Amino acid sequence: MTAMATEVIAMPTVLARARGGDHDAFAELIETHEAMVYSVAWNFFGDRGKAEEIAQDVFLQLYRNLATIESESHLLFWLRQVATRRCIDVTRRSRLKAVSLDDAGDLPAREHAADPLLDKRLRQLVGELPDVQRAVVTLRYQEDLDPAEICRIVGMPVNTVKSHLHRALQALRRKLESH
Amino acid sequence: MNLERDLTRALRRTPPPPGFAGRVMQRIEREGVQARRVRPVWWRAAAASLTLAALLGGYTAHHVIEQRRGEHARDQVLLAMRIAGAKMRYARQQVHGIGSER
Repeated sequence: MTAMATEVIAMPTVLARARGGDHDAFAELIETHEAMVYSVAWNFFGDRGKAEEIAQDVFLQLYRNLATIESESHLLFWLRQVATRRCIDVTRRSRLKAVSLDDAGDLPAREHAADPLLDKRLRQLVGELPDVQRAVVTLRYQEDLDPAEICRIVGMPVNTVKSHLHRALQALRRKLESH
Repeated sequence: MNLERDLTRALRRTPPPPGFAGRVMQRIEREGVQARRVRPVWWRAAAASLTLAALLGGYTAHHVIEQRRGEHARDQVLLAMRIAGAKMRYARQQVHGIGSER
């Protein structure tokens, strides 16, 4: 959360400039939030091409709706919500399932990756969860959001979010133990 | 094994391939994406006032029309009663006339 707060404080005027039609400012906004948006899609699909396409679409939608964004915190909320809902919509429309371990490829080196194989396996198992559970797990562990924040993004009651999280963790434990 | 800690590590943010922002900006140019304009607050207030005025005007007009229809119906009933009364009086006079002749 501290990192996010820093992001928000570091760009107090960029949003205003972007809203005023400054393309450089909009590019700056993209650079600030691209990792978050891209990672939501990447953790959801495990497919780089799909993640890039969805992340681009989210920023195009942001460009169209920039005038409705009221603040930096609203921007962050909006991006998380649109990215998550878009991933769910795309899955429901195309019934895309998680890609195989081979297709998933390797992530760029991550400084805290204690066990790259376990990370890869976990990402694959998350990708096999039902779409809403996948979204909830991604927001919980990628974005470090609590169920009260997640329920605003996915538009579900907080108890439903908790239930999805609980069931997702149970399924992940079960699958990990069976291997 | 701590699953939640492992998930936090496995699902950590990862940057897109380099040049992502440039590719988005190119798509904006290429596809001619337009930013939507949001109407100012005063415009929304004016639109709401106009809608309210139209609704109130419609309701008032409807009320006046209904009132006039009611008055017209009442007048017709009164006229019908007057005609019926006159007919009754005439019939009574005729009956009375026949009775007195006998």
